[in-house]
Amino acid sequence: MRNRVKEQRTQRGLSQAELAAALGVSRQTVISIESGRYLPSLPLAFTIARFFDLTVDKMFDPDDGEADA
Amino acid sequence: MMTFLPPRLRKPTMFTLAGLLFAGAWLVHGGPLWWVSIPAVIGTAASAARLYRLGGTDTDEGARAGSRADERQQLVSMRSRALACNLAAITSFIGLTVAIALRAPWWWPFLITLLITGYGYLFGLGTYGVAEEGTPDDADASSQTQFPVSS
Repeated sequence: MRNRVKEQRTQRGLSQAELAAALGVSRQTVISIESGRYLPSLPLAFTIARFFDLTVDKMFDPDDGEADA
Repeated sequence: MMTFLPPRLRKPTMFTLAGLLFAGAWLVHGGPLWWVSIPAVIGTAASAARLYRLGGTDTDEGARAGSRADERQQLVSMRSRALACNLAAITSFIGLTVAIALRAPWWWPFLITLLITGYGYLFGLGTYGVAEEGTPDDADASSQTQFPVSS
């Protein structure tokens, strides 16, 4: 599953640590989400989408690639 | 548990209590091996200090040691514990089987471990929602009527 977290973060000039602090997760988790290694929970997905003023389906694209279990 | 303590102190405190209990057991045991309690205390103190230091680092291990793991780090920890329990159950089964075959008197610790892991698994299923099927509402019931599932 592809997501636009990195794209949105860099557009806003945020570092991974700053985004992690804003979302209440670790920097390592932001890295994992950006690289697609970790699919966030639904609450965290909503938190991320709301942080960037996007909807969840705009932030995460389920049609692109295989979804992780 | 231990929520009155700052998160970074929780794991080191738990580790210290367990280590002191272990050292105390050697003291109570007495005999010529009472001195084992001394390196046990030293090792406990060193490990607790290492855990505390690790808890301050910006890593996944640091987050777990500092009791501030987020959802991904908790998931990794949970999977790791599940793997450890699987290995404990498999090892216990193998040990029990070998002990029975050899007619050895040390079969019972394997049986106890196997029972604990087995009941722990069942308890987990009951606690974390295996019995939440419930009754279907009207829409679900009608869709089941329209599209019966053949086995």
